[in-house]
Amino acid sequence: MIRFENVGLRYGNGQEVLRDITFDLLPGSFHFLTGPSGAGKTTLLRLLFLSLRPTRGNAFMFGRNVTKFTPAQRAEMRRRIGIVFQDFLLLDHLTTWENVALPLRVRGGKVEDYAEDVTELLKWVGLGDRMRAYPSVLSGGEKQRAAIARAVIGRPEVLLADEPTGNVDPQMARRLLRLFIELNRLGTSILIATHDYQLMSQYNAPRLQLENGRLHIHE
Amino acid sequence: MKKKGAIGMTMEATETTLPVPVQERQLTPQAVLGATPIVPPDTVTGRSLTIVIAIMCFLVSLTAGFVYMIQQSASAWLRDIQSEITVQISPDPRGAAETDKKVAEIADFLKGQIGIAKVTVLSSEDVNALVSPWLGKLKSFEVLPMPRLLAIEIDRANPPDIVPLKAALEARFADAALDDHRRWRRQIQTLTSGLAFAGLAVILLVAAATVAIVIAAARSAMASNRSIIEVLNFVGAEERFIVRQFETHFFKLGVKAGLVGASAAAAVFVLMPLLADYFGGASATDAEIRRFIGSGTLDLTGYLILVLMVGLIAVICLLTSHFGVKRILEAQNR
Repeated sequence: MIRFENVGLRYGNGQEVLRDITFDLLPGSFHFLTGPSGAGKTTLLRLLFLSLRPTRGNAFMFGRNVTKFTPAQRAEMRRRIGIVFQDFLLLDHLTTWENVALPLRVRGGKVEDYAEDVTELLKWVGLGDRMRAYPSVLSGGEKQRAAIARAVIGRPEVLLADEPTGNVDPQMARRLLRLFIELNRLGTSILIATHDYQLMSQYNAPRLQLENGRLHIHE
Repeated sequence: MKKKGAIGMTMEATETTLPVPVQERQLTPQAVLGATPIVPPDTVTGRSLTIVIAIMCFLVSLTAGFVYMIQQSASAWLRDIQSEITVQISPDPRGAAETDKKVAEIADFLKGQIGIAKVTVLSSEDVNALVSPWLGKLKSFEVLPMPRLLAIEIDRANPPDIVPLKAALEARFADAALDDHRRWRRQIQTLTSGLAFAGLAVILLVAAATVAIVIAAARSAMASNRSIIEVLNFVGAEERFIVRQFETHFFKLGVKAGLVGASAAAAVFVLMPLLADYFGGASATDAEIRRFIGSGTLDLTGYLILVLMVGLIAVICLLTSHFGVKRILEAQNR
């Protein structure tokens, strides 16, 4: 589904921040991406999310080379990938319901066609009574669940999450992990970037470890 | 989701204790239906931009209106001057009766020429009125050797050839002199061309300043919307969808602000005759100003020019947002 072969990335003329990154994300897989702060986890996620292009090597997504994507193809690819940002990136002027519905709205869908799906998903992530609330009044955990709901509403084949438990207490972290596991069981490939070892210890999944810009895979 | 069977089950996540209700903001009907505009219509930067655009549109509309008004007035002036010539007849030393006889002969001669529509002999009262700004209420016609004047209206559809007409008149009547106002006309043309050029230069300067200010203000408004562009980009919105959201928003903003500015300028033109009366009173200067800039109000074309300025401002806003969003998207998709 996603394949990186000796991918490298440098900013401008600086040193490579990622070197010889090689891995496969198969359909239905679950991975943790870990490493110390500044190791390049977010950068690798940005490569996976097509907001950066590799400066060397080959990266394939759904069978296509990422370096050759047109803006329209990039948008199409992003619809197949859901992402949960560390800082949520919810739009403050939209309600929780509208934030979650956004990916379907930008695809030109009609409200009546997706309204039920959005409501049901919000109930599923425990935000059934917060649908009309604006992000400014949501707690950290609620924002995180809203961000996850937005990432999965379009039924992506891959879900990328950047430090999804970074802003929540251990109990909420466990609940969010259960949410990811359940999504994985339903067929979505999951990649969670985290340096929370306690979280990783709760689920047996391969770890992609980044150190000094190099990737080591621990099955 | 449930009806399509993707995430149709109740999950453990719902075991979570329900959040404590907190005060929610007053929801608009659109928000309830999920139709809140993606670009928020009313923000602090949006309000500042509206004010800036309204002021610049007011200035550019005012300038354009003034230049148009002066041009129209000067053109009308020139048309009037071009359609009339004057013949001066020196007074006959033998007396007024002889002068009147000569005036009648010249008038008959002129009436018989091709291209002359009407010949009017100016009375002594008319001539006194003409020279009164310089000589006051003095009965100049009686105390001074004033020439007699003939106002000749030209047939605009079939104008005479002035040079041979002048030669024929002056050859036959030694005391008659024809004036086609050529010198005066040239002076007015020079003056109006100068004014038009200066006006155009002012319009260009104001327009350039408007463009620069609107672009700068729109860019800062765009920067405040960067996070919206980022989210739309990352949830898989196509570039043209994102660009269209902002184009629509900024175009509407430009039209709204432009209408405010142009309406204020239109109000100035509507009120100008009253203001001229109030400040100028009945002085000679007031009359001269009126002669120079016309009635002080715009005609329909003038108001259409103001509408055009609104369109221009709105298009500037649209283009600025178009290129602004593209630039931000390029930076986000390096």
